[in-house]
Amino acid sequence: MLKSKLKIPDKTRKPFPDRLGSLVAGFDSRDGENGGSGAALEFGEELETIQPNGFGSDREFEEPDDGVEEECAQDEDAAGGAGGGEPDLRARQRPNTREGSGPVSVLEVIAADEKRSDVEHEISQEEINLEKLQRIATMGLPDEGGLRATSWKLLLGYLPPSRKLWEKELSENRLKYAKLKEDLLISPSEFARRKNLNSGPCETEAGSDVDGPLRRHQIAQEDHPLSLGKASVWNQYFENTEVAEQIDRDLQRTHPDMKFFSGETVISRRHREAMRNILLLFAKLNPAIRYVQGMNEVLAPIYYVFSTDPNEQNAANAEADSFSCFVRLLGDSVDHFCQQLDNSSVGILSTISRLSELLKTNDEELWRHLEFTTRVEPQFYAFRWITLLLTQEFSFQSILRIWDSLLGNPFGVQDMLLRVCCAMLLCVKSKLLRGDFIANLKLLQHYPDINIEHLLQVAMDLTPDTSSYRLSL
Amino acid sequence: MVLVLALGDLHVPHRAPDLPAKFKSMLVPGKIQHIICTGNLCIKEVHDYLKTLCPDLHIARGEYDEETRYPETKTLTIGQFKLGLCHGHQVIPWGDLDSLAMLQRQLDVDILVTGHTHQFTAYKHEGGVVINPGSATGAYSSITYDVNPSFVLMDIDGLRVVVYVYELIDGEVKVDKIDFKKTTTTTAH
Repeated sequence: MLKSKLKIPDKTRKPFPDRLGSLVAGFDSRDGENGGSGAALEFGEELETIQPNGFGSDREFEEPDDGVEEECAQDEDAAGGAGGGEPDLRARQRPNTREGSGPVSVLEVIAADEKRSDVEHEISQEEINLEKLQRIATMGLPDEGGLRATSWKLLLGYLPPSRKLWEKELSENRLKYAKLKEDLLISPSEFARRKNLNSGPCETEAGSDVDGPLRRHQIAQEDHPLSLGKASVWNQYFENTEVAEQIDRDLQRTHPDMKFFSGETVISRRHREAMRNILLLFAKLNPAIRYVQGMNEVLAPIYYVFSTDPNEQNAANAEADSFSCFVRLLGDSVDHFCQQLDNSSVGILSTISRLSELLKTNDEELWRHLEFTTRVEPQFYAFRWITLLLTQEFSFQSILRIWDSLLGNPFGVQDMLLRVCCAMLLCVKSKLLRGDFIANLKLLQHYPDINIEHLLQVAMDLTPDTSSYRLSL
Repeated sequence: MVLVLALGDLHVPHRAPDLPAKFKSMLVPGKIQHIICTGNLCIKEVHDYLKTLCPDLHIARGEYDEETRYPETKTLTIGQFKLGLCHGHQVIPWGDLDSLAMLQRQLDVDILVTGHTHQFTAYKHEGGVVINPGSATGAYSSITYDVNPSFVLMDIDGLRVVVYVYELIDGEVKVDKIDFKKTTTTTAH
């Protein structure tokens, strides 16, 4: 999916150094990429005179997902309304005093509808133009109608762009998953029973009315529960219980505020069990990394989006689809989880230093302040941002929106991820400049709520760091 | 898939110093969910050792046990099966099938586990199963000196039980298995 890295996307071909000034001022002169943005922009300007704090889409998602629908609407208008007419600096410097927005206006609803129909139109083509889908995704995908699920599957490469192949691909993959599960996640007693059935019907079953001494059967050398042999099914089963226990513990802690994942209802249990299977299977198939704490967080949005797909068949197979997409998503960043690779050129430290370089290229003052003056090393905050793809920093709805952009980036998830991280730093620049080590660390480890659209816009407008480009991957 | 370890008649320290090393190396904590012990451990140290293997430990009193508060008989339900536990010296003639069947009917269990004879046996009798895990240490019994160390591990899975018999013969551990199925379900309580 990565074309030549040297190609700079159109969006950043604006004057660079001035961007920084304009970032600080908060005013964004970017034109809307979508059609119909002209009208929206005027709308934004008009509102700004009425509500100097910036209009409704500014409002941050401070509460957890109780107000999902409401946030959806907000997200919609933010996405549809040309990136949400930019908040100015004044708004950001009063972080938690956002006033409530005005009622969702007709124009915003229209913009949202437009966006949805854009996506629908794109997806319903026979041959889907991935680039176009990427562009749309970067603007944010609509929440309803399973459009996000399908788009993500396309963007991750799970579904081929040609529509007629979908049926075949989906059923093949789902079958593969079922078989994998059967092979690897089977319990040893089940395994023994099947072996028994294969090796001829058991006489004791038939002769159950006959009293007398029970017949003893020979077994293969390693085939008993206490065996310590490496090849024994039982031994492998017990070795995996440790991993399984850790997975279980982490799953209990995944998004405790969301009914989808937590609690003791039948549904949430089923979801946790499905996620458990996926993670266990991943751990077994990748003995080098096995399971690392945090993988559950990366899996959660994928599984959520796929299970809430209104298409019943898709929702029923969410587990199989999530597994494949999870594997694909982790494909780039899997090296981050491997401890041995930490110091290598593909490891997490190298990625973190790339982030540092990116920050330096874009805002040397802030970089200097962080690195030297306050000595806040990127390891302290960026490690979690990067390995967990920002799932721990924002509310669930924001995560979905950010992931839309991550997946929609033609240069790959990692590239956009670093940009977003850098943007996160830039957006709280003034606070960082004022703070010392402790204050900054606290701020970055508990990142404040901000306008996601603004954040993503800043991310996209960053100057890419050309100093350390790798021409071949 | 519940693993239940059945053993007994260790007679530590009077007749045997300890479990055979090969058995001990196989018995590691974390794999077994229940232990049922037919009795005659005889001392507290053995009790503690078994407790480290698995916290759910059931013991019936044998005639040489130093702990006097173990019950004479015990019943427990694991999965779909009702298990009964008794040392067996109370049932006369020792090891007689019909008398044991009487005990089984009295306790109303599907699987009766008894010891005392220090010989492994497994019988299907009148609708139930009688299992004797033998002596885990190979201690001599009131009947014979010729005893092979043995114990039993049951894998209870729904209506089916796979009984793995571990015996130490000539210094080597031999494992056999026995399969049986229950024909009717028990009412859970």
